[in-house]
Amino acid sequence: MPSSRYFRLLFAFARYGLLRELAFRTNFLVKVSVEILWLSILIIFYKTIFSKTTVVAGWTEAQYLFFVGCYFTLEGFIEAFFLENCSAFSDLIRSGDLDFILLKPIDEQFLVSLRNIEWSSVPTVIMGASIMSIGLWQMHLTFDFVQVALFLAMFVCGLIIAYSFLLLLTAAAVWMVRNQSLYELWWLFTSLVRYPKEIFLKSWASPIGFVFTFVIPILLVVNVPAGVMAKRILDRATLAFTVLTAAILLYGSRRFFQFALKRYRSASS
Amino acid sequence: MKLVEATAVPPAGILHSIRKYINILRASLIERMTYRADFMLGTVLRFLPMLTTILLWQAIYMSAPGEEIAHYRVNDMIAYLLLVHISRMFSSMPGLAAGIARDIRDGNLKKYLLQPIDMLSYLVSYRMAHKAAYVTTSFLPYAFLFFLCRGFFADLTISWTQAAAYVASLLMAFVVGFFFEACIGMIGFWFLEVTSLLYVVNTVNFFLSGHMFPLDLLPAFWAAFFKSLPFQYMAYFPATVLLGKIQGEDLARELLLELVWGIGFVVMARIIYRVGLKRYSAYGG
Repeated sequence: MPSSRYFRLLFAFARYGLLRELAFRTNFLVKVSVEILWLSILIIFYKTIFSKTTVVAGWTEAQYLFFVGCYFTLEGFIEAFFLENCSAFSDLIRSGDLDFILLKPIDEQFLVSLRNIEWSSVPTVIMGASIMSIGLWQMHLTFDFVQVALFLAMFVCGLIIAYSFLLLLTAAAVWMVRNQSLYELWWLFTSLVRYPKEIFLKSWASPIGFVFTFVIPILLVVNVPAGVMAKRILDRATLAFTVLTAAILLYGSRRFFQFALKRYRSASS
Repeated sequence: MKLVEATAVPPAGILHSIRKYINILRASLIERMTYRADFMLGTVLRFLPMLTTILLWQAIYMSAPGEEIAHYRVNDMIAYLLLVHISRMFSSMPGLAAGIARDIRDGNLKKYLLQPIDMLSYLVSYRMAHKAAYVTTSFLPYAFLFFLCRGFFADLTISWTQAAAYVASLLMAFVVGFFFEACIGMIGFWFLEVTSLLYVVNTVNFFLSGHMFPLDLLPAFWAAFFKSLPFQYMAYFPATVLLGKIQGEDLARELLLELVWGIGFVVMARIIYRVGLKRYSAYGG
């Protein structure tokens, strides 16, 4: 069965990644400490803001904390599975090593985006989840199965949307000789997911908010799942739109990636 | 006699030396223009964080009780966050430390040792070319941005002294930024792998330089402590100079301190380079 082959491969990638991390333990520790540092900075920023005000763009302190945790978790997943792999893609093109990937009897997108599992991002996911739990605990929320299930579903949709955009940026490397890292582009691009979408409600910014919700729907990524859990925004239209967007983007980015591969002209030998 | 003349070293006058580094500048400019599509995408994306921070701070001020937060009104705050980008345009050195460390590791550093060229001077002219290209190509988008945002600067009056101090602080920000990064890169003489250390330094720098928000917002003790470190000269200080937050004697003292840090880093970079070369064993082909 072909799909079991993919699972086996994924398992092998994960095992290989773990072995690699264990071989360079100091590097692993440094990477984890960078994440801890970055989370601390975000928390300091958050604490600083809420020492001056009680609400930001309609999000209370506890709700905003949940938002931060949700962002951190999502970013952790992206880093663990895709970011480094996609970042390496431009080098594969420049060096012509992409040839070896194209020759393998396996889906190219699967191989390009999941080759290495970055175990050092797992603590990021755990830290993000803890921050979310603290936020929930501060809100004194009662457990609601439907809400949690919807949150998880929306979180997965957010992840799919983010991954699709990452793949689009990655594939663009076929045309653009890349000089700067995808890391930086991704970091700049995700500045749109780090804050509540309500900040776009100001009159002059609402067209921009519209564009980033409906045309380039990156604003849905953290906002929808965090809204479901922290603010109980269970509006059906929003949820359906998010699912639909995730499906379209996943398909569209895959087609774009395949189109890009067709345009690839091997540079080696 | 003829033979000696033929093998004589080229003239080593100061004019010649300047021409050498101007040629490096020219070649680097051409190199930079090769990657223009990617460069454009980067420039466009670079405006997104500015947009989101402006909106975030407007939202914060909307719900905050008073008009001021740490003596910043909403326009000051947004002007600050825009000006920080100008500071970083001068002080940020993407790839510098990583490049030095790579040259050391690969053994490529010997190209500087074999040729009549000094690594740090070479890198300074190379970096100046990149900065010049960056400033020229992003001049229009930035001019447009500041034109759009002119409202935030409306109640700002800038005296000649302030303007001069601003320019000086920016130029020194380049020196501080460059030689700080160079020192970090040259840690590669002692440790094989510095990229992860670089992540730590960059993350810390992002916060301590005041790039994220003005240091004044922090509790008094921490604000004072972080302002005594050299990081603030890479973002916070130039921005506050133009905003007129620092005046008179304080301004003179701070400028002097920035100069001292700048010279300090230059000297430190020279020393590290000297000591490092003694350890350097030029691995690789």
